[in-house]
Amino acid sequence: MSEHPLLKRKGEVALLLGNEAIARATLESDICVATAYPGTPSTEILEALSEVAEYCGLYVEWSVNEKTAFEVAYGAAIAGLRSLTSMKHVGLNVASDILMSSAYSGVEAGMVVVSADDPSMHSSQNEQDNRWYGFLAHLPVIEPSNAREAYVLTKKAYELSEKYKIPVILRTTTRVSHTRMPVLLEQDVNLNRQCRGVFKQNFERWVLVPGNARRRKLELMKTWRSIVESEGVEPFIKVLNPGSKKAIVASGVAYSYVKEALELLGMFDKVTVVKVNMPVPLPVKPLKEVLELVDEVLVVEELDPIVEMQVKSIAQSAGFKGVIRGKDLVPASYELSLEPVYKAVAEFVGAPSKTPWESAGAPKMETPIPSRPPVLCAGCPHRNTFYVLKVAANKAGLRNPIYTGDIGCYTLGYQKPFEMQHTCFEMGGSVGVANGLAKSVDNPVIAIIGDSTFFHAGIPPAINAVYNNSNIVIVVLDNMTTAMTGHQPHPGVGVSATGKRTARVLPEKILEAIGYKVHVINTLRVKEAIEEAFRAFEEYKRGERVAIVSRMRCALEVLRDARRQKITLPIYSVLEEKCTGCLACINLTGCPAIILEHGSKKPRIMPEVCAGCGLCASICPYKAIVISNTPTQGYERLWWEV
Amino acid sequence: MKKTYNIGIVGVGGQGLLTLGEVIGLAAMFSGLDVSVSEIHGMSQRGGSVVVYVRIGEEPSPIIPSGGADTMLALELIEAARYVNLLRKGGYLIANDFIWPPPLSKYPPRESLLKALESVEAKIYLYDANRASVEIVGSPVSANIALLGFALGVNPELSELVKLESVEKALGEVFKGRTLDVNLKLLRSAYSEGVKVCKGERT
Repeated sequence: MSEHPLLKRKGEVALLLGNEAIARATLESDICVATAYPGTPSTEILEALSEVAEYCGLYVEWSVNEKTAFEVAYGAAIAGLRSLTSMKHVGLNVASDILMSSAYSGVEAGMVVVSADDPSMHSSQNEQDNRWYGFLAHLPVIEPSNAREAYVLTKKAYELSEKYKIPVILRTTTRVSHTRMPVLLEQDVNLNRQCRGVFKQNFERWVLVPGNARRRKLELMKTWRSIVESEGVEPFIKVLNPGSKKAIVASGVAYSYVKEALELLGMFDKVTVVKVNMPVPLPVKPLKEVLELVDEVLVVEELDPIVEMQVKSIAQSAGFKGVIRGKDLVPASYELSLEPVYKAVAEFVGAPSKTPWESAGAPKMETPIPSRPPVLCAGCPHRNTFYVLKVAANKAGLRNPIYTGDIGCYTLGYQKPFEMQHTCFEMGGSVGVANGLAKSVDNPVIAIIGDSTFFHAGIPPAINAVYNNSNIVIVVLDNMTTAMTGHQPHPGVGVSATGKRTARVLPEKILEAIGYKVHVINTLRVKEAIEEAFRAFEEYKRGERVAIVSRMRCALEVLRDARRQKITLPIYSVLEEKCTGCLACINLTGCPAIILEHGSKKPRIMPEVCAGCGLCASICPYKAIVISNTPTQGYERLWWEV
Repeated sequence: MKKTYNIGIVGVGGQGLLTLGEVIGLAAMFSGLDVSVSEIHGMSQRGGSVVVYVRIGEEPSPIIPSGGADTMLALELIEAARYVNLLRKGGYLIANDFIWPPPLSKYPPRESLLKALESVEAKIYLYDANRASVEIVGSPVSANIALLGFALGVNPELSELVKLESVEKALGEVFKGRTLDVNLKLLRSAYSEGVKVCKGERT
């Protein structure tokens, strides 16, 4: 265990992802409790901690959702133990209720809330700028510019949190979270941490009834003003090369682009640079001092003009007469990169905006390059489920069903050939929005939600549908893992974050308790699954409350376990002599393992990609797809058992 | 300020692009260089188009600008064509001679892809990294390491900066046991093939 990269010794250099750097920093900060719900780009923080948690004596958990994760970490912090909770930007929406209250009541030990934002929406439904939450909650927001700074600033965030006795938000963006850099380790990890806290009763502080909340609000505002006045120091803000007539203010990852652009322009020591690592609240004093000396300011930041607005406000109260530029030169949508920042900086410093890079050029294509969005993997159980549901719904005569969708790999079911995710908004939205559609249209409404997503936010709207008599079918896709974020366990798996066996909560038991008649289907057996789903849809047509749980493990986990247990899975191939080239296997599954090569009329299955689910073989009308190897007897259990 | 050396790694999610980025990052670190390896995660990226940016320099920012890549390692030819404009004029494109068409798509045939790639101003080297991996590892799973080995053989800019020995040490951090042994063997074999090509026996 001591060889784990996260446990390297003081003085060593480790190549760490921003997220791993944060994890290491929390270990050095002697945290006792770390919680999260997985979400890109935040996941690796808790994942890394879960690997070393038992060895280091700290408690980690994958919580059922971000609100619960926050509450668990907050429970530790009010009992005097340092804690961490991490989540993606939209996760903080889910946890925002307790976030607001935690600012009022504060903490007894350091608590850091990581909000990993995803500008450009690489793996998200929006790109909200969570620095706003700092204003909303009156909590400071720390923003590192790269992985190395994430390491240093996480430790500073714990000090700040304890100095003011409030949680601190550490906001990263994708290119900080998911960029590796060599990190020089400053401290060893303490393996003998003391993790028993004490909860001291204090009704005025911990019970936010209106009378107490009013007093706490005034306390919070005092703290807020104190941070604005006292924290205008390194590492939260740093003024480089003061005394120039022009200043560039850059926050978070934007600083790394500004620095490189100025170096390329040969201007790094000719312009004042204000490097901001605490964008909320922006410390006033250093900014005022810079504004006294300059005529022009450019603010560079990713997404919203949060620092820019504060600079303008400080400038107004300081009577600044110069020009402040920002979002008029720097894009407000999508992540920043060197090119747009170079252009903005060049224009600001009066240099030619032509960039110094000359491309090899774009290839001249006769056939355009096809787009390649992410697809359901070969062997993905969701493909089987979509196929089964589509056939069963047709068979049952459900006309124009609306399939409301949710957050997970299965969102990709919106693509051809299925086109069976008609909505996707937020966690649990499939069931909630289905309630409203069922009240508003005459189509059958089928809500499709993943297992982890069901536990996260799917249960209240499932109850709502029964209570308010909304005529919907709920389909839980139970692949027995949180697949999209890299296979974290959840309550339906019966395994904890550290790999220990624990209680298993089955979605069908919950649905039955609520009042649904549940059909559990096994989509590896395609024909049986179609029959069962058909029966469910027939009941739905009769006005019964039905739900389907489709249980088949994630193919990537099955492939991994087969490798580890030396089990041979089937590999399918196409029999040339039987194949008529009808292409049903391709057109009805969209499986990436089946390709049609140029010059060929018959498809080929790539043996190295085929996962052996057999869906194509069960679809082929000419029985031209067969197993081409000798699979291990009983391999099927890998698809059902963890 | 020393010039940053930029390596773009492109391919299809699931081909081992993140591992390749980490290996090069570690190798750069072991060579005493500062480096930044920027990835995009999420299982849903499987089967999708993926690009990893490796930048070797002094505290580099994370993303390579268009025309800024000195070397591009492409694990798949359609992706090579999609991203080749990332390469600087005269840069090195080292591409796996392999096409993995997106499902249900119309895609250009190999000949027209190669012709189109030849129309850009770059030094282009094709290598059947899948075959190399199958021969030594038994499956195409290590095509990423094969392509890196070959690239070090054909591209002196790269091998001067990131030494073969550092890459071997990096593999030792990422793989263990038999997996490490076969990957080391594959790396060296692909490197020798690259050196041969570099010496004029061009494929």
